[in-house]
Parts: sequence; structure tokens; C-alpha cells
Amino acid sequence: MTTSALELKGISKQFPGVLALDNVSLSLQKAETLGLVGENGAGKSTLIKIIGGAYKASQGKILLANREVVFNSTQESLEKGISIVYQELNLIPHLSVAENIFINRLNQTNGFVNWKKLYNDATEILSSNGMADINPRAMVADLAIGQKQSVEIAKALSYNSKILLLDEPTSSLAGPEIQNLFKIISRLKEKEISIIYISHHLDEIFEICDRVQVLRDGKNIDTVAISETDTNSIVSKMVGRDIEDIYFKEEHSIGENILEIKGLNDHYLKNINLNLKRSEVLGIYGLMGSGRTELLKAIYGARKSKIESIKLNGKEITIKHPIDAIKQGIIYSSEDRKSENLFFGNPIWKNISYLALQTGSFSNYNFIAHGSELAKSKDYYDKLNVKAPNIEADVYNLSGGNQQKVCLAKALINEPDIILLDEPTRGIDVGAKLEIYKLIANLAGAGKSIILVSSELPEIIGSSDRVYSMANGQITQEFIGEEINEKDILRYCLQKDDFGVSA
Amino acid sequence: MTFIKSLFAKSEFIVFLGLLVVGAFFSFQSPVFLSSFNLQNIILQSSIMGIIAIGMTFVILTAGIDLSVGSVVALSGILMATMLNSGVNVALVLSINLVFGITIGIFHGFSITKMRMAPFIVTLATMAMARGLTMVVSDGRTLFAFPESFNYFGAGKVASIPVAIIIFLLYAITAEILLQKTVLGRNIYAVGSNIKAAALSGIRTNRILTFVYIASGVSCAIAGTILSGRLDAAMPTAATGAELDAIAAVIIGGASLFGGKGTIIGTVIGVLLIGVINNGMNLMNVPPFWQSFIKGAVIFLAVLIDSIKNSNEEAAI
Repeated sequence: MTTSALELKGISKQFPGVLALDNVSLSLQKAETLGLVGENGAGKSTLIKIIGGAYKASQGKILLANREVVFNSTQESLEKGISIVYQELNLIPHLSVAENIFINRLNQTNGFVNWKKLYNDATEILSSNGMADINPRAMVADLAIGQKQSVEIAKALSYNSKILLLDEPTSSLAGPEIQNLFKIISRLKEKEISIIYISHHLDEIFEICDRVQVLRDGKNIDTVAISETDTNSIVSKMVGRDIEDIYFKEEHSIGENILEIKGLNDHYLKNINLNLKRSEVLGIYGLMGSGRTELLKAIYGARKSKIESIKLNGKEITIKHPIDAIKQGIIYSSEDRKSENLFFGNPIWKNISYLALQTGSFSNYNFIAHGSELAKSKDYYDKLNVKAPNIEADVYNLSGGNQQKVCLAKALINEPDIILLDEPTRGIDVGAKLEIYKLIANLAGAGKSIILVSSELPEIIGSSDRVYSMANGQITQEFIGEEINEKDILRYCLQKDDFGVSA
Repeated sequence: MTFIKSLFAKSEFIVFLGLLVVGAFFSFQSPVFLSSFNLQNIILQSSIMGIIAIGMTFVILTAGIDLSVGSVVALSGILMATMLNSGVNVALVLSINLVFGITIGIFHGFSITKMRMAPFIVTLATMAMARGLTMVVSDGRTLFAFPESFNYFGAGKVASIPVAIIIFLLYAITAEILLQKTVLGRNIYAVGSNIKAAALSGIRTNRILTFVYIASGVSCAIAGTILSGRLDAAMPTAATGAELDAIAAVIIGGASLFGGKGTIIGTVIGVLLIGVINNGMNLMNVPPFWQSFIKGAVIFLAVLIDSIKNSNEEAAI
């Protein structure tokens, strides 16, 4: 006989313009581990935040041990026995393990901390949960990453939680640490704690979960017992959506190799070999943390890396700083418009011309020829159809889509041959997306080469001539023509290397 | 109408209005205030602080700070005095002094960019080290009696206009042209506005940062020359606290400590405002202790106005 620990009934969450969750139900039994899977944007994080009390559902009910509850804050959810361990660890590095576990509940005697009791309590929690190897007096900063994760779990359990949500707990762990985490999880099962385990790594789901629930586009797709399913079936459930007709690809003839990279390595990227052809749109797809942004930055010289060989049009070149890449006609446009791409507080024209100024455009002996600067900026402002009151407007006030167009104008004004586009459609509406897809197709048609990084797989498939999948800092597979389909690409992104020694 | 609106949107204009109001107030309080002698005196007094503040503007535009300026001015004065007193040629002394200013800047730039130290701490350390060296070299005594040709920069006149004022104005104009009209200037604003985006736009941010600290060091060296020449003396305690006045002038002039915002014209007006307040209070015989209080209150007010204005901008969005 099973007893329900947590039940969600018909949960919907409406954000302005987006229905993030659409009538999602979930049931979690006592001592059960439920896997929760879905692509980026499937609604997993929204669901967790609703269970954890950070968001309020627009519709639906939450039942805790068969009694309806309403959480107005994360505190309320915590008090009712639900703890969440987020992907990003929330520990204070310069405090001890014990202090971190009891961070806002230090035992006090007349205003002084009762250290003896603190350490005893911490030891108790650690050892009863299979973490006896961690010294409660150790400084968190000195712990290995896996141990930090354990401390985070211990902290969650110190609230006497009956339900634990683990959000991508293995994203920064290596092989043995993952095994250790699994040991802790089985220990928690014995203690009748229920777990919701969120991960992109299906092998882990199959190893430790009892059931798995698949979300896609904010909807429940299926919930099945692990014993009755397999990876393939789960993957097709994750991706099996109708690709809406918002993508745009034009036939264009692809030329010779323009960029060839051999043996690119840094502390994250492992032995990357890559080639890009003239007039080609090369898609790179990988899940969060796969190293896709790092790869673009490494090529661009914005990240320290070792490269055996990088050839442009067959000639060996060196790129030590972005300016070297820019001078060779390679331009990178960052996904993070606010903190890495635009200069907020500055007018549109200044933002558009910054990059071109670095290569000597619009200047004589360092003096800026403002007339031609403004004219050329205006030219690209019009070409990209930026919608703003005028070109003097502060980029800060533009919508995401128009900010993105300014980013592209900034990149294109220099007439680069190779454009590295990092998530050019992140956080922008469908109309602006379509304009950007058309622009990408036009650029390729005009002989430019584009590397497109995106976390939206349909977008990659809809725009690319060729695709690389990435996982764990490596390119895992190349897909050409008919091979480009969601299922296969996703499979290669979920693939885990064998925890082998990195090259 | 839009022209007037755009004027009021500029911090420089507001500070300029403040300057006029304060000036009008003092001219009613003291008949001497508006005399050409007194006005020239205000500008002369402001020129040394002005030159230091111009260097400081470069630094603050990149969201940095240079606390060492007062001590570096004093050390520059003492070093030159020592060389002059042992008979070194004036032209050579002036050149060595400029090299000294550049060296201080390179040291700061290197520590901040390559050693990744915080500007506040690095320049705080230099502030103490430079002041200490000043004492060591001078043995705590005031050095004086310099050649006429050296004193010319601090005390000389061209057609009844003090050379110091001419240097200050030329320096300000050059700095403003550099900031507003050149790629280098644009890049300084870019680094202060968003250093990551600047680097990804191909700007060599380390060079820009080093440049602004060199600009500050050179400004101190020039200020040191004028100060020693004007007094015909180099004191080890000279320019104590100058860093605070310089920072205040830059901020009053509309620059933001978070970088990316500010102009030389703003700084010049800020320096003049502080100069006028100092001068006016002296004419009115305000006791020195109160002078310090009032100056502090003015700085507070200026920053408050700017902060309120900026929060309105935020709210409008």
C-alpha cells in the first residue's frame, strides 16, 4: 500500500504572454523517487518554484499528505516539510559546515552561539544521512564539490523535510561523486523521504527513480514506471512536438571550408575539432553547461584556451584577444545582452558603432568622424528594422527583440565573414524571432558563415545546414542533412561520457 | 522648448545653475566677490585642484578611484625640489617629473589589471607610501628657493593672465576633446559603462584602465609643478586631503562613481563651485570649522539631487 506524500492537481501558471504550465498534475508517494524530465523551457523550474512556494499557481491545487495547502512563501513550504536543493549551491564558503546547515537557526544561549550543541546536531544530521565523512567543523570552501552538494542536502533535511526536490543535482559532479549522491538518495528512501529528481541525464533517472514524469511545453505528457520504459521512449516523449512554422531556411549553395579548428582545449572544453564552410549555417546544440558559449568565446579569443591549429581560408592565424578575431572578420554576439553585449544608458547609434570603431572605421588618427559614424549606424538601424522612437534612444528602453537587433547591427556593421551568434533569440517574441531567422538565412545566402548556438532545438533544426551536438565540453556528434532531427540530436546531448579521464 | 528640456536633463547645466546661484549669493554678501581680481583669484586657486580633478575624472569614468593624488602631488613637489636644490637643469627636472607621474600610473594600472587588485586598495596603499616617501626624502622639512624659470609655471603671467590658469584651461580643453572626439575617449566611457561588453567589442580594456591611471598620475605631476612654483616651496604636507576635494568636484560635476558617466566641463564647473564656496566663505569670515561642514553639506546636496534625478529616470521606465 502506498500513501500520497504530495499531489498536484491541474496546476497552471500564467506569465504575461506565456502559459508556462498548463494543467499539470503530479503525484508523489511516500518514499518514492520521481524523475522529472523535459527540454529547456518545458516548465520544470516553474513547477519546482510552485511546489517550493516561490511562485503561486494561477490555477490548481496542492495536496500535502491528502490535505490541501496554499504556500504564500518559500518559508511556508519549508515549514510544511518541503525542501529544495537548487542547481546553484547556496552555501557561504567561509563558514563551517555546521554553521551552513543551521545558518538562520543557530542555537543560542544568552545571545551567544552554543557551539557544542551546534556541532553535535550537525554531526547527527550528517551521519544519519550517510555523510559521516564530512567534518562539521570544516570550512565549506575547503570541501570538494560533491561534499558541498551533500551539505546542501543536509541543510535541506535539517528542516525535518519529508519531501526533497533535487534540481539538476549532478550538473557539476563527477563519477564517484554521483555514485555517492545516489547512495545518499537510497538512504533517504529508507527513511521514507520522497524525492523529486530533476535531471537532463536520463541514465541517472533510470538508475535511481521509481517513476518518471515527462513535461513538454508546460504540459504533462506522460508518467510511467521506470521498469516499463526505456531511454528512446522517454526521448521521443520529450521532443515529440509539432514544430510550429516559424522557422525559415533558404536554399543556398555551401562553399569551401572557411574556418578549421583542431584540438581546442581548456579546463572545460575537451579536444574540440570544428570546421565551418562559406555560406553555411552551422548549429551547435547542447544543454545548459554543455560548453557551447565557452566554445564560441574560445574561438573569439575571449577565453583562454589552447588551440593546436586554427585556419582561416587555409591560413594559420592566431587569436589572443577579441580584437584579433574582429580584424580577421570573425565577430561574436553574446547571448547576454545586458551584461556582455550592450552599453545600457547609451544611445542606439553609439551601441551600433562601438565594434566598428575598434577596427579604425569612422576615424582619422583616432579622431571620430561623427558624420559618417552616425550615417552608417543609421543605415544598419534601418536595415535591421529596429523599432525605437529614434536612433538617439537609450538601448535600455528597447524591447528584447529590438535590443537583439541592435546587437546584430553592431556585429554586422563591420561586415564580418564569420558570425558567432550565441542565443540570438533568447527572450524575444515570435515576430522578432522570425525576422532574425530570415536575417540569418539572408546572411548565409550572401556568402557569410554563421555559427548558431541555441538552447531551442527546433530553432537549430529550422535554421541550420549542419549541426554539432555538445555535452560535457565536447562535440559529441555531427549531423548533416537528413540526420538533423530532434530525437537523435537530443540523444547525443544527454549522453554522458564514461566519467573517463579527460584528455 | 525641447532645447531647454535637454539642457535641464544635463547634470552639467544644473551644477552650472548652482554655481550661478551661489555666486549671486556671495556677490550680495560681499562687494569684493565680483571684482575681477577676486574672480581671477578663484580660478587661480581652482586651477591646481582642477588639474588633479581632470585626471580623477578619467579614472572615475572607468568606475575606478585614485586616492593617491594628494600624496603624489606632494611627492612630485619634493622630488623636484630636491633635484632643483642640487642644481639639476629645470627642463630635465620637469621631464623626470612627468616620467614620475607616468610611472605611478603604470604601477596602478599594472596592479589593477594584471594583479587584479581593487583600485580603492591599491591607490590607498600608494597614498600612504607616497606620503611616507615625501617625509623620508625631505626629512619632514619644507624645501624652497627654486630657479625663476621653474616658478614661472606656478607664478608667472602672460599678458596679466596667470600661466597656471592658462595651463588649466588648455589641459581641460585637451582632455575634453580626447574624451568626446576620439576613439580612445569613447573606449574609456565603454569600459566604465560595461567592461565585459567592451572587451567583447574588441577593446583592450587593460590598456584603457592603465591609460586612465597614467592620466591621473601625469595630472598630479603637473599639479605638483604648479603648486611648488606658486609657493616657491615644496612642503611634505602639501595637498593633504586633495583626493577628497577632487573626487567631490568630479561627482558634483555629474560623473557617476559607477562609471561611464561624466564630462570634463562638469568637473571644471564642480571645481569652480567648490572654489567659489571656499572663497566666498573666507570673504564672509565664516569660521574654518563651519567651512568644512558647509562644504560637506554642498557635496551631499549635489549627489542627492543627482540621485533623485536618476531614480526618476528609473521610475519613468
